[in-house]
Amino acid sequence: MNKLFFIVFIAFLIITAGPLFSEGSSETDDPNTLTGFHYLDQADRAAVDNFEALKARFAELHPEITIEWEYLVNEPYHNKLQTLVTSDQLPDIVFLWPGKRTGNVTGNGNIKDLSPWLEGNRDNFSVAAMAPQGQNGEIWELPEQVTSTHVMFTNDRLLEELGLSFPETMEELIEQGEVIREAGLIPIAMDNKDGWQMQSTFLSALVERTGGMEWYDRAAKGDAQFTDPEFIAALDVIKTLNDNDMFSPGINQAEYGTALTDFVNERAVYLIDGGWRTTNLTTELDDDLKPHISYNTFPDIPNQKGRSGSTAIVTGTGFGMNANLEGQKADNAWKWIWFYSGPEGSKIRKEFGSLPAYNLPADSNDPILLQKLGTFLSETPGGYVLDAVLDGEGMAVLHPQIQEMMFGNVTPEEAAATYEEWVAANDSSRK
Amino acid sequence: MPLLSEGIETRQKQRRKKRNSYALLVGPSVFLYGVFIIFPVIFSGVFGFTEWDGVGIPQFIGFDNYVSIFSDPVFLFDLRNNFLIVAISVFGQLPIGFVVAYIIYRKLVVGGKVFETVLFLPITISAVVIAILWNQIFGPSGLLTALMRLLVNDPRYVFAVFENRVFAMVPILFVILWMYTGVYMIIFIANLQSISPSVFEAAVIDGASEGQILWRIVIPAMTNILFTTSIFAISGSLKSFDLIFAMTGGGPAHYTEVVAIYMYLQTFRFYNFGYGSAVSVVIVALSLGLITLLRVSYKRIEKRFG
Amino acid sequence: MIAHQRKLGIVIVSYVVLIVLALITILPLIWLLYTSFKPHKEIIENVFALPRVFSMDNYQRTWEFGRFGIASFNSIFYSTVATLLTTLLALMTGYGFAKFGYKRLSGFLYYFFILGLLITVHSVLVPLFIMESFLNLDDTRLGILLPYIAFGLPFLVYLSTSYIRTIPTALEEAALIDGASYIRVFWSIIVPMSRPVIGTMLIFSFLSNWNEFVFVFTLTSKATLRSLPVAVNAFAGGMARDFGLLFSALTIATIPMIVFYFVFRKKIAQGFAAGSIKE
Repeated sequence: MNKLFFIVFIAFLIITAGPLFSEGSSETDDPNTLTGFHYLDQADRAAVDNFEALKARFAELHPEITIEWEYLVNEPYHNKLQTLVTSDQLPDIVFLWPGKRTGNVTGNGNIKDLSPWLEGNRDNFSVAAMAPQGQNGEIWELPEQVTSTHVMFTNDRLLEELGLSFPETMEELIEQGEVIREAGLIPIAMDNKDGWQMQSTFLSALVERTGGMEWYDRAAKGDAQFTDPEFIAALDVIKTLNDNDMFSPGINQAEYGTALTDFVNERAVYLIDGGWRTTNLTTELDDDLKPHISYNTFPDIPNQKGRSGSTAIVTGTGFGMNANLEGQKADNAWKWIWFYSGPEGSKIRKEFGSLPAYNLPADSNDPILLQKLGTFLSETPGGYVLDAVLDGEGMAVLHPQIQEMMFGNVTPEEAAATYEEWVAANDSSRK
Repeated sequence: MPLLSEGIETRQKQRRKKRNSYALLVGPSVFLYGVFIIFPVIFSGVFGFTEWDGVGIPQFIGFDNYVSIFSDPVFLFDLRNNFLIVAISVFGQLPIGFVVAYIIYRKLVVGGKVFETVLFLPITISAVVIAILWNQIFGPSGLLTALMRLLVNDPRYVFAVFENRVFAMVPILFVILWMYTGVYMIIFIANLQSISPSVFEAAVIDGASEGQILWRIVIPAMTNILFTTSIFAISGSLKSFDLIFAMTGGGPAHYTEVVAIYMYLQTFRFYNFGYGSAVSVVIVALSLGLITLLRVSYKRIEKRFG
Repeated sequence: MIAHQRKLGIVIVSYVVLIVLALITILPLIWLLYTSFKPHKEIIENVFALPRVFSMDNYQRTWEFGRFGIASFNSIFYSTVATLLTTLLALMTGYGFAKFGYKRLSGFLYYFFILGLLITVHSVLVPLFIMESFLNLDDTRLGILLPYIAFGLPFLVYLSTSYIRTIPTALEEAALIDGASYIRVFWSIIVPMSRPVIGTMLIFSFLSNWNEFVFVFTLTSKATLRSLPVAVNAFAGGMARDFGLLFSALTIATIPMIVFYFVFRKKIAQGFAAGSIKE
């Protein structure tokens, strides 16, 4: 028995010794094999189909380049990214945020400045997309789009059936809540299990409403405090809505995407989410419903200091490259980055319903929701997104505080004070 | 004379041969274990005394990290959650596992083997898979919510226990019970089988009732194993991570966080590597401490009754 | 008569307890299995209903996009190689500890290994990364295997040492006097005599390696190095989006282990019980 065991064991080792080592060596040698880390939800059909189409087109254009992709989404993506940086295993191509969301990665010399490659092409992008991302004007990632993180998607058909119209003020919205719930529907579909959704897609826009750009600018520079009434008032709006049963039931247990599912299946009248959801809506909504979907922002709130109808705007995400890449390998990485956010990729992404930062000629054949998003973006003023101007680590303090507040365990004042305490001690804006 | 020195030489040779063989047999394991576990542990221990964010040079700060850990209310709440897991293991898994093992062992039902097979099944499934599966049951669009909506006829009903600071751990504790009770059952069955059958036969002949057999024979024979399984429960619970990480990630609002997740978040979300290392030292120290405590009390009990 | 009634009562209660527990255990798995054949829309409409048609659509998509082919290969590779090596090393070590008589050294090393049972994988993750990238082991299969082996050793060393202690010394001593080397004794006496515990060790080790998650999740960045649990987890990020894919991914990760379980049920049970039986 032991001889047989031994022979089988040795045979197995020999057979498998190949893959044992080859994976490691391919990393450094072949400039045509790259590793990529992408922010993609593998169970999101719309996003997956879109990305598959991009990969297929890229393979046609550059058959010599192979990219080994790995995908994660939400907090796991960010945790893993940090792990990769710490252990010096950053892939060749990574999906990044322009602001502080991935600031710990971009700000520490891990990512190459794309400016040299970009020369001569800047004018082809929308102005907002070319805003500097690093302290010395670096471009860490080539933005795929300009994003509005707060859109109050509205199902006008449902609204009409209920005899309602889009509210002017928050009071009016809350009054609508009763009618909507009576009909067995959700007033505002949102999901907040991961915690960033409430902050990024709602609170950020609210802060501009309660404080105006003047306060927001000071907060971003570290000259205002989060215990100021402006910030507390924004948290208070969330609490008021929550206490009036306006959000999806079980909002803080719901995975990101639950709310979208409810909205697509006409179980919710409003959906608060980012403009990037246009892609999903384009593929998932029934065609006859699409004309009845409108792009709004949250109605006016009491004591509003900011602009009516404002949202929160941020330069879009995109791909950047590992700072260690040189020569042919760096050029190959750039080929992907340029493909993705440049004309070729933009065309494909547009077909799937996202509005590229690269200026493509307008086309009346564009998906209808995309045209709506285009109009929305050009007409809607916006403030900052909190996690783009304040450190990402602090968000891990703020997000649970918002959840605690919604559960009624802390007041808006207490939540604000806890966050302020962290910012005062740690945030780079105060240093 | 030459004969004697030859004898010494052979003995020396043999001794050397023995030593070399020992090194050859034990060496590789000790090397791997040392390099991949002990070295990183020491590394952690040292970093526990520093402040380090992953870049630059760690700053030595003495016991500051440890002071901060034990004054952080989040950590203390996490510790409470860990003790809940210990409690559900000791007062949930052990008794249920024992009752089931006893029923099967005493052949009180037909088809005991079938039940044994079914109840032990979850142990083969990865914790990540189990977590996602149960999320689909407890989640706001999950099975349980759908069922309750039908029962209470309220379309807005949600299974909201996760939103309650005090009870948020309940679903997780339930899943832990679901996952591991079978293990304790198997352990108990194996140990019951090691009790000599003649003891039972004698008891039955003497006309002992089922209850008497249980209290007079079985329980006393099982004290040792109760002690061992409690050690499993304690060391296992302080390490629990995969299931909770995949199920709730510690949320909402830290309600279901445990110390291992606290450490993970400190390290990978806040980039406090020194602090995270200190937390992992605390985890090891706590389980060592608890197990020592258990050992001492077990010895006492044994002395008094044994 | 009363005793008889009482006995009947105990039996009824026993049945109720076991049946309820068995249902709680098995129903979620049955639900998982049939739901995995339903498309997303059907799951949303009614989470309880049986699938209208048994379609393999979900599986096909999950398999392709989740790269379950390579993930399955990796899972098999990591689990098999790590299991064989860990078992072999643990047996060697157990032989050294149990039979060589270096009481102090062996005793010390033995407790040194047992202490490893208390160490959380997570507490060594960061140093492990740093070390692996320093040794150029990062993102290689070897870089996964070595920590797997190291973390599997404590329990297996415990098992093998306590088992080999019970093997009578006479046979081994006779062979040594005949001039056999220690390695020879190991192969031709210790290994064959340890057959029962080897089975337990192999299966127990395979099971824990197969289900391991954190190492692969954090130590690899390439999709081609991923194991099944990590591949499944990739579907869970925003899993609310397509339940059909999610459920089929979960099923793919579960079925092989359930088959494995039914084949090796006895040995698995022994593995879990082995650490606890009074010696």
